[in-house]
Amino acid sequence: MSFTAVARKDFSDARRSRSLWVLSGLFVLFTLLMTYLYTVVPELEGADAAELSALGLLGFIAAPATLFVTLAAIVVCYKAIAGESESGSGKLLLSLPHSRFDVLAGKVLGRWLVLVVPVVGGLLVALVAVFTLGIGFPAGTLEIAGFDLPAWPVVYAGFVALTALFALVYVSLVVGVSATTASTSKAAALALGAWVVLELLWDAVPVGLVFVANGFALPANLAALPNWAAFVSLLSPSVAYSHAATGLLTDSATSAVPFYLQGWFAVVILAVWVVVPATVGYLRYRAADL
Amino acid sequence: MDAITVSNLTKDFGDVRALDGVDLSVEEGEVFGFLGPNGAGKSTTIDILLDFVRPTSGDVRVLGMDARIDSMSIRERVGVLPDGYHVYDRLTGRQHVAFAVRSKGTGDDPMELLERVGIAEAADRPVGGYSKGMKQRLVLAMALVGEPDLLVLDEPSTGLDPNGAREMREIIRGEVERGATVFFSSHVLEQVEAICDRVAILDEGQIVTVDTIEGLRTGAGATTELAITVDAVPEGAVTGLMTVPGVEDVTTDDRLVTVRMGEGSKSQVLHELERAGATVVDFATRETSLEELFAAYTEDEDETGDRDSVEAGEATAADTVGTVADGSADPAEVAR
Repeated sequence: MSFTAVARKDFSDARRSRSLWVLSGLFVLFTLLMTYLYTVVPELEGADAAELSALGLLGFIAAPATLFVTLAAIVVCYKAIAGESESGSGKLLLSLPHSRFDVLAGKVLGRWLVLVVPVVGGLLVALVAVFTLGIGFPAGTLEIAGFDLPAWPVVYAGFVALTALFALVYVSLVVGVSATTASTSKAAALALGAWVVLELLWDAVPVGLVFVANGFALPANLAALPNWAAFVSLLSPSVAYSHAATGLLTDSATSAVPFYLQGWFAVVILAVWVVVPATVGYLRYRAADL
Repeated sequence: MDAITVSNLTKDFGDVRALDGVDLSVEEGEVFGFLGPNGAGKSTTIDILLDFVRPTSGDVRVLGMDARIDSMSIRERVGVLPDGYHVYDRLTGRQHVAFAVRSKGTGDDPMELLERVGIAEAADRPVGGYSKGMKQRLVLAMALVGEPDLLVLDEPSTGLDPNGAREMREIIRGEVERGATVFFSSHVLEQVEAICDRVAILDEGQIVTVDTIEGLRTGAGATTELAITVDAVPEGAVTGLMTVPGVEDVTTDDRLVTVRMGEGSKSQVLHELERAGATVVDFATRETSLEELFAAYTEDEDETGDRDSVEAGEATAADTVGTVADGSADPAEVAR
């Protein structure tokens, strides 16, 4: 498996371009801004500052972070394979003993690192800000191997891992799209199209399905979607990510909802999203004449 | 075992037939030139050898392995200088070669290879600032990683100045001495002559001929032209020259005598002139260039071998100038 060589080359390339540093700077600024807003907004509303919590902050960051991660993934990844095919560097790459699978896997890994470094860096800055501002984590503990350990590092690490997984979903999606064509403009258009559907229009899909299932009439209580419609809503990666993040950050008892609406199942949905688009892209790329 | 065996290879791109029943075999250890005008299908053939492009039909074996199924194993043992490639502008030369070394899992020292191709001083500069010739040298260095059994070079002299082209040939010779087979395509025909054991000419997707350079010359009815400057053209010199074996045509213009001959001794022509009373001031020979040979092979069939078509490339042919003291000059030497 030579995909690590491809990933390493790709990452060095990004490190030499400004994209990695620009993204890192942007994401750090973004988390600082969010942290600031998080501390300021409740005061404006007259709420008690003592209700602030680090986990609340992470939840506050999660939703806008999806916007940042998804758009950054498109910018970083749309050229990943289409660009190599278009310019001819793909010939140089495949002259060496790499299978097309190695190329695709290496691209996903390399570009994912380009995205994950800023995200992890930004979330670390948020952690520092949490301590500096004295927001503090909740005092809960977890029993691990007989020791009572504070729960928050686990939750924090879980949130970072979940965000990294979400980044991987979009990297896989956009690299997969990039593998289906040798035209970077077509790759950009397809990736943006997917983004519009999954990020902007997806909310309308379950509502539309309910509308149809209800005999082309809206049900009386739109807020309470039936379980199956809630599941359709969860199929959007960012909804799944937010849902899993909420499950992780809030200690809600979830036994009442079916398994497919629980937080852990949202992680399964994200895992499927990692595999499927990349596989489709690979099959197209494998069959293509360069 | 042949290094490359291509049998009945056909490739269609949509309605366009790029390759039409190509048969080719390249022996181990030889330098094989793959000639043809642009668009003849040379790059498509090479792309199929490397599994960049899949054949419509036909069988392709490289180093005894199936070009499609065993492509990874093939590329582990092949060094490639592809056509129409693009380098990674932001990475340095050293990073490029290191990437090739890592990809092939060999222990080569990138600097050593960069020295061999003559761009060691630029090793740590991003290749976006390299000239075309430097990029060509860089990709050659990448191709040399791991002492490949077969070098596939698509238009290797593109972007190289004459000195660079000479160094490229020296490297190719070194690789052949090591035991490698070299398969390269070109439309710069003079450079093929200096190095190839055999050549194939591809035209419009079909192999026109496979032969040695000598064989090509004979086959196309090649001639040599001598341009001799004398102090004065003596009476009867033309008649005398026509009696020299091999001479086909003699023309004079002031002090210049032009002799066209097939097989024959050039010095006998000079002796004949001197015997007639002329003093030879200077002379030049011009062999039918490969360009002209090539035109003879790739033009319409009914013209093949026709003297007019052989001469068609005269304007572009490189004249070869020698002096009496040096004797006749080998056009390939001058091309270097």
